[in-house]
Amino acid sequence: MASSSGTARVTGPVARVRRQLPTSPWLFAAPGLLVVGVFILYPFVSTLVNAFTDRRTLIPGEFVGLANFRELLHDEMFWIGLRNSTLYVLGVVPALVLLPLLLALLVQKNIPGIAFFRSAFYTPVVASIVVVGLIWVWLLDERGLVNSLLEAIGVGRVGFLSDQWLLLLSAMAVTVWKGLGYYMIIYLAALANVPRELHEAASVDGAGAVRRFFTVTVPAVRSTMVLVGALSSVAAFKVFSEVYLMAGPDGGPAGEDTTLVMLVQRTGTGLTGRVGYASAISVVVFVVTVALMLLVLRADRKEDA
Amino acid sequence: MSVAEKVRESPAVVDTQRRPKRVTDEHGRRIRVWELALRYLLLLAVLALTVGPFLWQLSTSLKGPTEDIFSSPPKFLPSDPTLHNYERVAETVPVWDYALNSLKVATANVVTNCVGAALAGYALARLRYRGRKVATLVFILAMLVPVESIIIAQFTTMRDLGLNNTLIGVLLPACIASMNVLLMRNAFLNLPYEIEEAAFVDGANAWQRFLRIAVPSVKGTLAVVAIFAFMGAWDDFLWPLIVLSDPDKFTLTIGLNYLHGTFANDERLAAAGTIIAVAPLIALFACLQRYFFRGVGEGAVKG
Amino acid sequence: MRKPRRALALAAVVALALPLSACGSGGDDGGSTDASGKVEGDITFQTWNLRANFKPYFEGVIADFEKKYPGTNVKWVDQPAEGYADKISADAAGGTLPDVVNVSPDLVAPLAKAGLALDLDKAAAKYKKEYLPGAWASHEIPGMEGTYAFPWYLNTGPLFYNKSLFKEAGLDASKPPKTYDELFADALELAEKSDGKVATLANVPTIEDFGRYGVELMNKEGTAFAFNDAKGVELLTKYKELYDAKALDSQALTATPESSGKKFLTGAVAMNPGSALDLGNFKKQAPNLYKNIGITDQITSTGKVNMYVMGVMVNAQTKRTPAAVAFAHYVTDAQNQMSFAKKVAIFPSTAGSLDDPYFTKEDGTDETRVRVAAAKSLKNAVNYTPVLFSEQMKTELRNSVAKALQGKESPKAALDNAVKACDRLLQQQG
Repeated sequence: MASSSGTARVTGPVARVRRQLPTSPWLFAAPGLLVVGVFILYPFVSTLVNAFTDRRTLIPGEFVGLANFRELLHDEMFWIGLRNSTLYVLGVVPALVLLPLLLALLVQKNIPGIAFFRSAFYTPVVASIVVVGLIWVWLLDERGLVNSLLEAIGVGRVGFLSDQWLLLLSAMAVTVWKGLGYYMIIYLAALANVPRELHEAASVDGAGAVRRFFTVTVPAVRSTMVLVGALSSVAAFKVFSEVYLMAGPDGGPAGEDTTLVMLVQRTGTGLTGRVGYASAISVVVFVVTVALMLLVLRADRKEDA
Repeated sequence: MSVAEKVRESPAVVDTQRRPKRVTDEHGRRIRVWELALRYLLLLAVLALTVGPFLWQLSTSLKGPTEDIFSSPPKFLPSDPTLHNYERVAETVPVWDYALNSLKVATANVVTNCVGAALAGYALARLRYRGRKVATLVFILAMLVPVESIIIAQFTTMRDLGLNNTLIGVLLPACIASMNVLLMRNAFLNLPYEIEEAAFVDGANAWQRFLRIAVPSVKGTLAVVAIFAFMGAWDDFLWPLIVLSDPDKFTLTIGLNYLHGTFANDERLAAAGTIIAVAPLIALFACLQRYFFRGVGEGAVKG
Repeated sequence: MRKPRRALALAAVVALALPLSACGSGGDDGGSTDASGKVEGDITFQTWNLRANFKPYFEGVIADFEKKYPGTNVKWVDQPAEGYADKISADAAGGTLPDVVNVSPDLVAPLAKAGLALDLDKAAAKYKKEYLPGAWASHEIPGMEGTYAFPWYLNTGPLFYNKSLFKEAGLDASKPPKTYDELFADALELAEKSDGKVATLANVPTIEDFGRYGVELMNKEGTAFAFNDAKGVELLTKYKELYDAKALDSQALTATPESSGKKFLTGAVAMNPGSALDLGNFKKQAPNLYKNIGITDQITSTGKVNMYVMGVMVNAQTKRTPAAVAFAHYVTDAQNQMSFAKKVAIFPSTAGSLDDPYFTKEDGTDETRVRVAAAKSLKNAVNYTPVLFSEQMKTELRNSVAKALQGKESPKAALDNAVKACDRLLQQQG
């Protein structure tokens, strides 16, 4: 690596030097590109190739063209998975765009002890999703804490982990719970950049807290909201762990809570896994996430113009 | 990534400890008492929601074998707290050996991610060369790949390299995560150009600028990357399970999974296991939180 | 333009080279089926979630083996319960399967079909007579010649029931149900008397339940499934009735063996299948339940109880075939199975072992009573789960059963669909 410093030595005017000899920048990026290339993109490309074969775990496949994709169209489970992953985006993203912003506003003021609260609100982000899953399954169990409380106040026990829709809602709630602190931090950084003059001007105009929120805060952090929207929708569409841990490997009653990535895992792994077919589902997941990302970013660009 | 570029950041979350004692808002004005009370009330409510579940788990893990853990209304405090469940966990799985393995992988992951992501992030943000956009795109694409679906292909790659069943094999796939590269890129992008331009004039080369000027200015983001890297390695389950076969090399999450299989019916033991898994992370975060929040202030976590 | 083009070229090479390397697994045929050579060399032995409780036992067995055959070196690895199939398939696909592997019959089938399991009828025929014939046959694969794993430990168990729940419902706690008709009648009674609070069963019917009910699961040739016959529909219709009356727990659709065990422990469910192992668990975790525990035989329409079989297979690609076969046999021989059985509530699959006084003499304790009864029932027990019934098929069946119970499909239509889906998967297994 040391040798590269020689090639990047500055010899001319600044403007010209910015266009460096190519060797050095590539050396900077090389370790990262190598790791990502070998351990993420290469396996991914192999998954892409597999999507057009009938490969199984222990049996090398043959090229089958678009057969896997054609089968998807008639696979009831695929549509259930697509429905649930889409519902997940619709359910989780608005909550994750809005609630962390409110939370950030709540912890923004420097009142005594606020550092403690900020850290504490971040704890769910730190914990492993497996641990979080175990904790919530235990809380939402038919005889768990939440139901004990509900019974104590006379509501009666609720089958959070047995009803198809409640299960999906519970999993969404856990996703939001675990994501609150993460996005709160992002908003906190953005809020610090809102010029105080704006707030003061609005105050002088007699605008209340609610109106100031909509007229000052929201416009000021709008691009951050878009970013949070993009990040959380991609993550939500790829949801696996929360639903897997709460609804079980089958995806709840009659598999009605299966998400697309769960379906990939279920069909593609194990000794009898259909690697080819599962790869085809992965391709769909990938295409949709890229599309989601582009959609959100493009919407942002349009509003900007 | 255009969004991120647009949002210019400055240090955001100010360290509270050094503020004067007077209770003020961020603009230095006094806060009314009722408003303050309302704020604390809301803060406590959210606190109960975010930390409560962990405390309930802790409470369950401290309850003795005779105490009813299913009672309604629930009992929040163990009537006769005991560490017996933790002893049983340690008897069942060599928790300390596994924790040491996890620590090794997590520490190495912190180093590789900080170094690799800083280098690549700098290349993406600051250096001019053909193919920079392609390189950026590579990292963005890599972030979108659903990891669960490529795990077998990753394993086959690892076997071809002869690195399966080693801790290095556990480490490698995430040792320079594209998310972290993009975080570092954003942090470098947010540095004013002027600082480096002065160094240009002084004749500093890319390496010198990187080491002496750029890196010291993004320490906070490095702390964020470090915490993410540590968390990621410590929390990972499926990949170490696939790539390791030798129990001596197991990491803590796999080791604790034994509890699930062996004592599936014992909530107290499972609770003790989860506390063991999560406590070191909470402790680590508590120690680093000041740097962490400062790092986020640099606009780090902005995709 | 030089750099990007090179990157593109690299991508193209990667894409082209890939199918080759992806299909390259299993090509290297290093092993031989000849087990008659000298027993020597290093081998690896993999068990399934046994280290936590039986570490000293296995270390002892390995030490004895190494002493008996100088020059051998056995490395023992143990894998957690969760993800075991994933682990094996990654190893199998990657060519890193250990030499001797603890398997269950449904894991053996795909491995054998991929040529990764050694045919023991060829390599170890001389040991066949040491095992119970039924146990030896449990690792035969329909449509293939040969037997692909040594039988190891067996397990079966009684049905536990909660006497106090029976009493509260006005049922005679000393007369637990013996037939399916009695079971269904009692279950409905319990649900009605407790106003739907107490369910009798916690799990939806699995393939083994259909088998125990007397349903023909597959056709004679083992080429297609048949559990959608009249008998199968009858069982599912009964379960639907129970589910509607809350006699089958309302969470049954998402239950796991652990969760239903928990429900039994907490008195939410009145009956649960189990094994002698569970008794200790009850004593420790639910002393009140333990006082009221009732023990009765598994209910069957066939007269043959269900048993679970564990096996030990030899990797067909092992470089040390003689040592691997010798060790797989050693772990599963009568002496070692017997001492293992005395450590934990499982049963040896070796011929004659079940006649040992340990499995025939009662001493008045519940543990012994359960053990003796189970050992007796094992003599004609059946592993109902078809060897070819894969994880994906289990999921199909569970989902179809759930649809029938929820009333989204009729029992007949649900089972027809399940059979169709399973047949398709069966064909794809090839």
